[in-house]
Amino acid sequence: MAAPAYPAWVTRWVSGQWRNKKRPPTLRPPRTLALADKVANRREQSTDATCITEMSVMMACWKQNDFNDTPCAEEIRMFYDCVAKAEKEHRNENEDTLSPRGDLPSSKVNKLLKRFPQITRYV
Amino acid sequence: MAAPSAAGLGRRLRAWLPRIMPVRWSRYNPSYLEPEVKKESYQKPLEELTQEEREQMERKAVRPIKAAPPSLSSSVFSDPLISKFTNMMMKSGNKVLARSLMSQTLEAIKRKQLEKYHKAPENEKETIECNPYVIFHQALKNCQPIIGLSNITKGGKTYQVPVPLTDNRKRFLAMKWLITECRENKHRRTMMPEKLSQELLLAFNNEGPVIKRKHVLHKMAEANRAYAHFRWW
Repeated sequence: MAAPAYPAWVTRWVSGQWRNKKRPPTLRPPRTLALADKVANRREQSTDATCITEMSVMMACWKQNDFNDTPCAEEIRMFYDCVAKAEKEHRNENEDTLSPRGDLPSSKVNKLLKRFPQITRYV
Repeated sequence: MAAPSAAGLGRRLRAWLPRIMPVRWSRYNPSYLEPEVKKESYQKPLEELTQEEREQMERKAVRPIKAAPPSLSSSVFSDPLISKFTNMMMKSGNKVLARSLMSQTLEAIKRKQLEKYHKAPENEKETIECNPYVIFHQALKNCQPIIGLSNITKGGKTYQVPVPLTDNRKRFLAMKWLITECRENKHRRTMMPEKLSQELLLAFNNEGPVIKRKHVLHKMAEANRAYAHFRWW
């Protein structure tokens, strides 16, 4: 009888580990071990103001021409075009598209996660 | 136990009551289409229609159409800008008075321009614009501000930040300035058509107090251009 093959719990019991409290931690998680359907709210970086260059060009033209609109018609037209473009882009922002800086704010992430929730129980 | 149930009952009852005050949104189902009032769009032959117009026609065959409001007219004499201006001039719902004032204003403009036309030498006669509608539209366009100021609070202080305006806002500001100018800064006994026609003719030539007010706004926007970065849209 070289090495009698006892089950693991027997050796552990005999060695006295269980009584010396060297037992595995009894994990009692207060919440379900599953991913939640929302992310924490992060203070997202504010976007920059649009059309500042066109505006400054237009204002320089105004300063030169004593705030008359007829000599500055070209600059005003460019400013209006820029504003229309920015407005269209702002309108086309969907809830799934990334922002122009390439990140997704936490509100949009939460909306998407709500549409596809984590399945916690099977019927 | 009685208190929570009473509060819940009150909330449920309040939700059931229909709104008494008018609200600014429409109660129509989104599937309802806008009515088409212009006669020319119905007189076009089928071949001349573009793809979108054909789709629009097909949609109109299946979907319901909203009721046309009484201010919408298919007459050649109706002008949406003039209607909007008349509505802004109206006080306490007196549309009859506002409309008569508007027509008297246009008549006064026409009379003044005709007087100028007949007094002018031959070579200058073409430069004088006699159509009061053209004068009205051009005057309003000249009065529209290009950039506005909005209050933005940052770090506890409120700043006046230059901000681009929407078309509706520009139109509204131009009309509001014209009407306030005529109502407040003129002699008490002058009639509104007289005051308005004078203001419109001055604005048509890029002069007058309304144009000055627009320039003052532009100057303030130019002075505050350093704060333009406070905008986030």
